[in-house]
Amino acid sequence: MTLKADWVEIERLFHESVDLPVKERQALLASASASVRAEVESLLKTEDEAVFVARPDRLAADLLDQPSALSTSERIGKYQIESLITVGGMGEVYLARNQSGCPVALKILRRHLVASPQAVDRFQTEVRAASALDDLNIVTVYESGDSPAGLFLAMEWVEGPTFRQLMAAGAAEISDAIDWGEQAASALAAAHSADILHRDIKPENIILRKDGVVKILDFGLARLAGPVRIEPHSTGASGTISGTLSGTLLYMSPEILRGETASSASDVFSLGALFYELWTGRHPFAGETPLDVYEAIECRNVAAPSAMQPAIPLEIDSLILRMLDRDPALRPPAHEVRDVFSRFSART
Amino acid sequence: MDPQGEVTGLLVAWGKGDQNALNELMPLVYNELHRMARRAWSAQDQGNTMQPTALINEAYLRLADVENASFQNRCHFFAVACTAMRQILVNHARSRLAGKRGSGRVPVSLDDVQLAVHQEAAQVVALHDALERLQAVDERKSRVIEMRYFGGLSIEETAEALGVSIITVNRDFRLARTWLMREMNGEQS
Repeated sequence: MTLKADWVEIERLFHESVDLPVKERQALLASASASVRAEVESLLKTEDEAVFVARPDRLAADLLDQPSALSTSERIGKYQIESLITVGGMGEVYLARNQSGCPVALKILRRHLVASPQAVDRFQTEVRAASALDDLNIVTVYESGDSPAGLFLAMEWVEGPTFRQLMAAGAAEISDAIDWGEQAASALAAAHSADILHRDIKPENIILRKDGVVKILDFGLARLAGPVRIEPHSTGASGTISGTLSGTLLYMSPEILRGETASSASDVFSLGALFYELWTGRHPFAGETPLDVYEAIECRNVAAPSAMQPAIPLEIDSLILRMLDRDPALRPPAHEVRDVFSRFSART
Repeated sequence: MDPQGEVTGLLVAWGKGDQNALNELMPLVYNELHRMARRAWSAQDQGNTMQPTALINEAYLRLADVENASFQNRCHFFAVACTAMRQILVNHARSRLAGKRGSGRVPVSLDDVQLAVHQEAAQVVALHDALERLQAVDERKSRVIEMRYFGGLSIEETAEALGVSIITVNRDFRLARTWLMREMNGEQS
């Protein structure tokens, strides 16, 4: 709490001490009253670089969805930009070409959002993890690097609808739902066996490639959401929390909502919610407001998918309900989910 | 009276200490800037990014009788325009947090991106709130941040608009941003 009466002295001491070595600071501050000293010390230890490193006009432009878009034919590393695919506050995804002219998806992470060494470090750790995954159903990460535009990530170019787009058409055909379920669970099982979690499984992150191969996006990169997620203490504005979560809330497991650590079972839960929607055309935790959804995930007794989709095989009906168990320990591991679907896909 | 004469007249009156003139000036500047910002930042105009500073300059050219305006008037205009720009950005951030998306945007499919947009919007609102607390302690420092951050003015332009030295703006800026960071991190002592 800054008192106006002390402000002139606080200001003077701050400017006199801010560029001094720590020892000399202490000597200088020794003569001040306890409250003034506490205030100046608190200011001196505040790291102010992270937020203000961004040029304000850049931030304002970002806020208004105005990308600092790269232009066509611009080069990032060895890639040539072709067109802008999607835009958001954290960066842009472009269609680009490598030296041999093959298409790649190039994701640029805006510099000011990865300004802190910790965030960059985490980004690179996660890229290494994602690069380590070599699975047909997981989008391949080719390389990451630094460029004047920001950190970039070159990924396999996948063409096809997202599961969000697929599900907009209503419940899927049974044979499709079995095939897609097997592929998605198989990707998750491969990642989990390499000790990598996705942490953000949702229909927007899964694509059905034109040739019928299911591809999970951003594997291991979901952790990137870490540094940008709003913690209550960093905003001071309680109203922002539900807004922040609303995008991903529907597929979050109850343990993550409670603030506990994510585990492989959390990914299984998210995939279970997605399967439920895929089979029935309805989301198990749909609600009017984020709070309704929150309560539904915490407390709602989910009706069996077979109540809405009588044609669902019994074993899959109970598998999806087990994936949505509130107790992470009771959910089946991803490889078991895959195996159940495999048995059915072998029959069809 | 034409809008240019009206704005110039209000700037002069405000310069002479008439606070009612400021109350009349503010909505005129706000509306013009808001209109321009919407147009400049609309999806149709993606290639043509207008920065806050450029918008403020253009609004000045539109609204003020530049030929007959004094240097003093120009400084006063910038001061008002930065406050208006802050309101525009904060209102936009608030509606963003309330989940109202702008129309005609490029669809966003990656979710860290969604989170980041919310985070930026929340940061703008949090900064605005902290700035109001700073204003209670030291009005000029809150104005420096308003002009630098929301108006996009340079150190030199800020000094000009506030009628203080560049050294003072630099010192104010350094202390103010540290103070705000501390406030926004909730590490109040």
